[in-house]
Amino acid sequence: MYRVSRRTLSMFFLIAVAVFGMGFYVVRYFVYGTSWATAPFNATVFHEGVLISGRVTDRNNVVLADVTDGKRTFAESSDVRRAVLHAVGDREGNIGTGALRVYASELIGYNPLTGAFSVTGSVGNTINLTIDSRLHVEALKALDGRRGVVMVSNYETGELLCMVSSPTFDPNTPPVIVDDEVGVYLNRALQAAYAPGSIYKVVTAAAAIENITDIHSRTFNCTGELVLGDDIVTCPSVHGSIDFERGMRVSCNIVYSNLALELGADVLADYADKFGLSGRTTVGGITTASGNFEKAPPGTADLAWSGIGQYTNMVNPASMLRFIGAIANEGTAMELSLLKRSGLTSILPSSSTRLMPRSTAVELSNILEIQNRQNFPGLQIHAKSGTAQVGGDKAPHAWYVGYITNPGHPYAFVVIIEHGGGGTANAAPVANRVLQVALK
Amino acid sequence: MEWFRSFINSIQETFAGFDGNYLIFATMIIRYILPVLAVIIVMRCIKSLLREKSEGEIWAQLQMENGTFIDLNYWENAIGRSRASDIYVDFPTVSRKHAAVIRDDKGNWQIYDIQSKKGVLVNGVRVKDEAGLEIKTGDIIDLGGITFVFIAADRTDEYEQAVSRTKPGKLFKQHITLAYLTMFQMLLAAQFYVSQGSSASLLIPFYFIALSMLMWACFFANRVLGRVAFEIETIGFFLTTIGMSVASTSVPSELVKYLIFIILGICFYYSMGWFLRDLDRIKKFRRPIAIIGPLMLVFTRLFGERVHGAIRWINIPGIGITFQPSEFVKIAVIFAGAATLERLFARRNLFAFIGLMGACMGLLALMTDFGSALIFFVVFLVIAFLRSGDFATIFLSIAGAGFAGLVALSSMPHIAGRFATWGRAWEFADTRGWQQTRAMSAAASGGLFGIGAGNGWFNRIFAADSDLVFGVVSEELGLLLALIMVSAIVILALYSIHASSSARSSFYTIAACATAAVMVFQMMLNVLGSMDILPFTGVTFPFVSMGGTSLVASWGMLAFFKAVDTRQNASFAVKMPKRPTRAGGGAIIYKGQEYIPDDVPQDTIKLDPKYWESDKD
Repeated sequence: MYRVSRRTLSMFFLIAVAVFGMGFYVVRYFVYGTSWATAPFNATVFHEGVLISGRVTDRNNVVLADVTDGKRTFAESSDVRRAVLHAVGDREGNIGTGALRVYASELIGYNPLTGAFSVTGSVGNTINLTIDSRLHVEALKALDGRRGVVMVSNYETGELLCMVSSPTFDPNTPPVIVDDEVGVYLNRALQAAYAPGSIYKVVTAAAAIENITDIHSRTFNCTGELVLGDDIVTCPSVHGSIDFERGMRVSCNIVYSNLALELGADVLADYADKFGLSGRTTVGGITTASGNFEKAPPGTADLAWSGIGQYTNMVNPASMLRFIGAIANEGTAMELSLLKRSGLTSILPSSSTRLMPRSTAVELSNILEIQNRQNFPGLQIHAKSGTAQVGGDKAPHAWYVGYITNPGHPYAFVVIIEHGGGGTANAAPVANRVLQVALK
Repeated sequence: MEWFRSFINSIQETFAGFDGNYLIFATMIIRYILPVLAVIIVMRCIKSLLREKSEGEIWAQLQMENGTFIDLNYWENAIGRSRASDIYVDFPTVSRKHAAVIRDDKGNWQIYDIQSKKGVLVNGVRVKDEAGLEIKTGDIIDLGGITFVFIAADRTDEYEQAVSRTKPGKLFKQHITLAYLTMFQMLLAAQFYVSQGSSASLLIPFYFIALSMLMWACFFANRVLGRVAFEIETIGFFLTTIGMSVASTSVPSELVKYLIFIILGICFYYSMGWFLRDLDRIKKFRRPIAIIGPLMLVFTRLFGERVHGAIRWINIPGIGITFQPSEFVKIAVIFAGAATLERLFARRNLFAFIGLMGACMGLLALMTDFGSALIFFVVFLVIAFLRSGDFATIFLSIAGAGFAGLVALSSMPHIAGRFATWGRAWEFADTRGWQQTRAMSAAASGGLFGIGAGNGWFNRIFAADSDLVFGVVSEELGLLLALIMVSAIVILALYSIHASSSARSSFYTIAACATAAVMVFQMMLNVLGSMDILPFTGVTFPFVSMGGTSLVASWGMLAFFKAVDTRQNASFAVKMPKRPTRAGGGAIIYKGQEYIPDDVPQDTIKLDPKYWESDKD
């Protein structure tokens, strides 16, 4: 008997395996529970794959999406529905970056402790987005059917006030799209990257300020072109003798080509990386598309072009917004957020990253200031335009990026109009219209 | 920390969300009370099972030449120079496994020569290998030159022992645990009643009340039999209650059938317990049972229905009941495999058992019942190890089974498919991972406390209430209760280890451990299979999964645990001594006791009938 009963201790092995297996399950439950519970077949919170739980509002509590009689409904106004489509999402779940999909677990009110039901047994949560539907409507009107992106953020907190992507549609009457070539479902603000063009001179300027000690006493000679071997870098105007600061204001290609050649590809790549422009960033937990910076060989036109935002450079609009906001915020980039924080959590500081020393930010801020404000009534605006050549016979992308320093309105903005022509002529008025609404 | 934040938010909502509907509010509270009650019930059972004092029994003694006494604490005692012997005799002429001294059901003792070199002599007569020799008090046993005087406990000894040993239920009153369980059942019934909304009927609560009454009836029946322990039954009823909750949510129209199966299960439990009382009866029927097992499988193979790839079911015509023979074959195999001590040492017996298991697993493979074959394999491993203690055999077996498994994988596409999906259910969410992904989603949706009995959607998924029952329980009653349900099975296994050292015969020990292994393994395959941690094999969770055969078999297997419970007056599956015919004296000499001549008058012992059993048995 003793022999046999001693052997029964081997049962502990089986028990240990079972307990370990259960422990492993519990760990998985807490790690993956949220994604399991938010699967569209969880009938407690979904009906035929549509989330039937939770309400989405903008920062002023305008209802953007709701549930009525077990069905998903959207904002009352068609203009609002179209303007906030990519931020909120659609019924079918085609908009991958929409709050209805990204914040499904928050809308359900899911947490692994109480499950899909709240403590009281009710289903569904309200989430407040940081966006302002008024800005969205104005931005979409200003884009006037052109494809592009309008983003506005509060650079002190990182809250996104506006994130319009065009083209768009009314989620109540979704179009039949077989093959989404245009990218209607795409949230261009997060999921696209564009050639930056002249706005990239800001990055090269930051590198020059920190790496070329006599940068302010330098003068350059712009003859309208710079010959590098067999290639030529051109400048739209002949600026003659020109310094670094004025080179930014008139957007002289020759000044920044020379700086790029002097700084070299390695330094430029470091700055692209440090400023988060060559990689990805996150916006309210969503990872954006990646930018691109390729190191060109020294002394070539490619290197010169890469310093003025051409060559193979690509930038994601949200990453650009983060960077430009950091200049306004004395060098510190706030992480961009889409969910308004409430209660206890609003006391905690937002997460932020210092991109550059305060001195660099102040210098950049000075040279970016727009002195001629007749096109921006009432705005203390700092900005840079960009007209990014995209090759072929297509019109260039129009960019306008910057920020305003009006008291109480610390807003950074990015406007892109795809194949929209000159940045100052086309993108700047859009920025102005949206900022005017933001100031009200 | 995102979820912690939302948890804080939802607590803030608790009071804001209260809309004045007291009924809804009450059932909401029930969600939190149920796991607490379940913890109390299970904790009381485990503490009572493992903590209560249980003095060893003394069935006989050996008096050595120097006058000291050695107690024989079991019905089966191995004597030898091996430290693993029950009676360890460190003397060079004694063999490692020398002799076995074994008591039968009627109190007669036999001595067997196991593997001795010098032989066993009783009063100078040599014991032949297999047959053994009956011994009586006063016989002189010679083991390789060492002599002992054998003293068997007589009825008076057994009676006195019964009176002096501690009865269970002192630390944890069994009826209080049962009262908690009753509360658990009633709250569950209330939750079901409310969850039906405006169309609420009292039908489901009625079945819970019926189950509760059945439970108390069993409790009082045990009392009438003079048996006081009820922990094993309480665990059985606890799991059955969760099973009834699953039935109520998934097949409310079949609750009548379910209740009948519970009654059948309990009847089977008591019959099994009664059968297990008598070791002689077990020995007599073991061979027929061993033969019936594979025959049942052959019958199923020939006449069974193929359902979802496997032939498991026999349709009983006329009454529309299907029946899964492999559930009972499991019990038959445990019967056949568990052996009394004298059989353990003969290799031939082990080979017969290996043959039997091979036949069963082969038949199950032919029926493509992969899950059952796996369970049989685990039974085989556990029994083979308990019998032989030989790791080499075990490793060889596992290697062999691994090879057989590979052959099965390559020849049966639906099994290979299950392995292909294993661990990647979400990639196949709309094909082979359909069931598991739904189960995981439902389980996560339930949170720690569930969305309330009767509120779930997962029960509508195919096989949710059997193969994926963990999902149903997690969704409606929450992760905590699902884990408590798992721990109830683990407790039975722990108890089988704990009680193994006090069981009277190795038959009971092996049977209890094999049963525990079956239950733990099934539980593991069921839970981890449905949650995509193991391949999904479609095995039932004991007591909880729907399916009458599985339920009845689970209750039957429970009797094996009851048969190792040798605490005084604990188990109806363990016999108590016969009425003492002769008072006074007694042959056994306890430690510190002086020898008293056998002349104490009859009336000095107050006889209490609680401690003996009628002679009818």
